[in-house]
Amino acid sequence: MDKEKIFEEHYKRSLIRAGTACCPGCGGPLFWRMALEALGPRTIVYGDGPCAYCAIRNILVPTFGIHFSFVADGATGIAAALAAKGRNDITVVSSAGDGATADISFNKVSAAAERNENIIQICIDNEAYMNTGIQKSGLTPFGAWTTTTPRGKETPKKRIPMILAQHRIPYVATVSVAYPADLKAKIAKAKGIRGFKYIHSVIPCPTGWRFDPAKSVEVVRLGVQTWAWPLYEVENGIMRLTVKPKARPIEEYLMAQGRFRHLTREEIELIQREVDEERQRLLEYDGKSIIH
Amino acid sequence: MSFTRMMEGNEAAAWGVKLSRVEVIPVYPITPQTELISAIASMIASGEMKAQYIKVEGEHTAMAAAIGASAAGARVFTSSAAQGIVYMEEALWMPPGMRLPIVMCIVNRALAPLGGLRPDHNDSLLQRDTGWIQLYCENSQEVLDTIIQAYRIGEDKRVYLPVAVCYDGYFVSATATPVTVPDQEEVDRFLPPYKHELYSLMPEDYRRPQWGTNIAKARYEVQKAMERAKWVIEEVDSGYKASFGRGYDGLLEEYSCEDAEAVLITMGSMTGTARDVIDEMRGEGKRIGLVKMRCFRPFPSEELREMAKRYHAIGVVDRNTSYGSAGGGIIAVEAARALYPLDDRPLLLDFHVGLGGSDVTMRQIRYMADRVLEALDRGRIEEEVEWVELIDLGEVM
Repeated sequence: MDKEKIFEEHYKRSLIRAGTACCPGCGGPLFWRMALEALGPRTIVYGDGPCAYCAIRNILVPTFGIHFSFVADGATGIAAALAAKGRNDITVVSSAGDGATADISFNKVSAAAERNENIIQICIDNEAYMNTGIQKSGLTPFGAWTTTTPRGKETPKKRIPMILAQHRIPYVATVSVAYPADLKAKIAKAKGIRGFKYIHSVIPCPTGWRFDPAKSVEVVRLGVQTWAWPLYEVENGIMRLTVKPKARPIEEYLMAQGRFRHLTREEIELIQREVDEERQRLLEYDGKSIIH
Repeated sequence: MSFTRMMEGNEAAAWGVKLSRVEVIPVYPITPQTELISAIASMIASGEMKAQYIKVEGEHTAMAAAIGASAAGARVFTSSAAQGIVYMEEALWMPPGMRLPIVMCIVNRALAPLGGLRPDHNDSLLQRDTGWIQLYCENSQEVLDTIIQAYRIGEDKRVYLPVAVCYDGYFVSATATPVTVPDQEEVDRFLPPYKHELYSLMPEDYRRPQWGTNIAKARYEVQKAMERAKWVIEEVDSGYKASFGRGYDGLLEEYSCEDAEAVLITMGSMTGTARDVIDEMRGEGKRIGLVKMRCFRPFPSEELREMAKRYHAIGVVDRNTSYGSAGGGIIAVEAARALYPLDDRPLLLDFHVGLGGSDVTMRQIRYMADRVLEALDRGRIEEEVEWVELIDLGEVM
């Protein structure tokens, strides 16, 4: 088979159509292509929110969204309707961006987790309000430039996956589009579990992070290799690192992006220390319970 | 089997929900609605009612979950009051535009800061522009009957709009009046299972209405649906009367209006008190009647116009405020627009009363009725808008 034919065959099987309204190099369509390979066609995707929706509009399973400030809530209703109809053959996925998940609808995600709704909640994390034009969110990392933090963000990123894990839900995982096998395995696992599952995905954003769109996967791979974006899962309270690379200096990840270019040597060292400490902690708890 | 017993409004509402075979109920507690959601919780816990009962973390989520469930094909119920309704506001705009026939009880309660726990109508009337049908009930029986009717109305494909069933906190929600609970099989005959022709989120049969880019056209569709709702409400109410022997005259009920030259228009629980006052005045030979506004949205303009040909003075009782309005409360402003095209317009008086849930007394109603008759006699209005509670009417009775 020639190359084109292979692509065509693959495209036919894919559950996302080309021609999304996403920026070049956006990790969103990439994420959904991989996620839907794991989820399959018997899936309903609930979610809105500008950036994430640019990709969701092109996916080929039923979708329903209300507005950016509505996270997990409508999915709760959809899951309840399915339960009322005795339909347990359908996976309900709720998707939201980082601003929706960590800021305006944080209470909603937390409450749905507490109720242990039978849905997969996904955070599409490009680390700022990108669709409105790059404004700081609760998931923007320390030091990152945005239009509302022109001198760099003063406070660290919220640890949402760990906060969700402390809700004692059955499954939490971080994923990256640079690690497709890991991503798909985690989503497939989530699909097989009843109750509230939380998947937190980094989504490279050339527009907001300031780098060449061709380098999207490269940049987020660096994120994992420098431990800025550790890949782990928490299953029934037990934390397990799924990728344990030899740590590269954080500077490599930071300097690949324009949003960190203004950082001073001291600031970079501070970030390095924090990343090191977090890595130590994660390695220490690898394979152990983090629910105390 | 049908049976009759004393029941508070909230309990009657729970029976209405049960008899309507609601499938999904996302709710959040707020006084004076809480007895309703606890009554439903008990019915589900005891196994006499089957529904997915979701104890959400706020009213915004309650409505959002209702939207998701309704789009996914389930019959949905929720309820709230006052601050809860206002907190829900962002979500309230969605079901009409999405054409989802959710039914919600608004147990009327005055809004903060100049409110309290007791009822006035600002919480529901504030939602008048969202596209929700609004029906107001006078007593427990009407609450039960109206919930069943509301599903028939909203789920009618000529309508496909959400319906708010409003009733006054405490005066209706916590006051026991006799209620006849109809037989489930009879209700099943009256109310077929929910099936939305425009929606299915199921992967094997996925469809959703597409609004396109002509927003004005989509909004006009909602407006037309609202207009069609008027005769669907009438039709459903007379159908209900034929099946169950009780009806509410559709949009407006005229009480003791034979040969009347003037009327008072009331809404909600105060109507019961007003009936007694009108009876008394009729006994004195006064030619005044009572009109109960059962349906505020869609606003019964034509019906009001038709009445105005018979009544030369109309007094509107507004249990709400609309600061800086064109003149008076919300109902009066709407009524003025409805009556404006008439060549021979009646005198229109407006009264603010019962604000923040204070009692609307017989003496106050008598005062308002007298003022309307006075205007009729003089052929002119002294004061267009009066704040009745600021007038010293002597001892409360």
